Amino acid sequence: MSVRVLLFGAVAERAGRREFRLDADAVADVADVVTAAGCRDEEALLVAVNHDIVRDWRVRVHDGDEVALMPPFSGG
Amino acid sequence: MDAVRVQEADFSIEAEVTALRQASSRIGGIATFLGCARDFSEGRAVAAITFEQYAPMAVKALGALRDEALERFDIIETRIVHRVARVTPGEQIVLIIVGAEHRAPAFEACRWLIDELKRRVPIWKREDTPAGERWVTPHP
Repeated sequence: MSVRVLLFGAVAERAGRREFRLDADAVADVADVVTAAGCRDEEALLVAVNHDIVRDWRVRVHDGDEVALMPPFSGG
Repeated sequence: MDAVRVQEADFSIEAEVTALRQASSRIGGIATFLGCARDFSEGRAVAAITFEQYAPMAVKALGALRDEALERFDIIETRIVHRVARVTPGEQIVLIIVGAEHRAPAFEACRWLIDELKRRVPIWKREDTPAGERWVTPHP
């Protein structure tokens, strides 16, 4: 099992990838996932864990979680 | 047809209004917001707009918005359809319809829904301009 990381829009473009997996043992919290994705310098980065927005990057991540790294939304 | 949808295909306003009206014969006022693709944005010509979504979260967020609107406002039913496709100027992008007994809550809920949709639903647009493609940064 692992943590599935999805990247979207301009964040995916800058990171050069749209999806990857992390060993769940290698990451403790959302901040670790953001670092592993190389997205620490993203301004206004939005993070969702299992489809819910997470404001506190100290939230723990677990085996089987899906973490999305997203730029501000621009739909409508 | 589900009351909230994200889809590639275009939608029919008439079909959505008909579906909304089937919810209740108490509906006395219907407010709609229709978002369309423009051919000009922030000083640049726009040839097309391409949308990207985080599908499971987008549908979940739209469903939550609908539930919240039904709770917050004195309305009877609401439907939201957002396209995720490559669209050219003039094409329809998003439709919000609100049915209520009276017009005031219908207008209020419609305005609230489009504002919150822009804030909460994971959809992004990329404009195709003469200077190349650019991701749109949100504006109020």
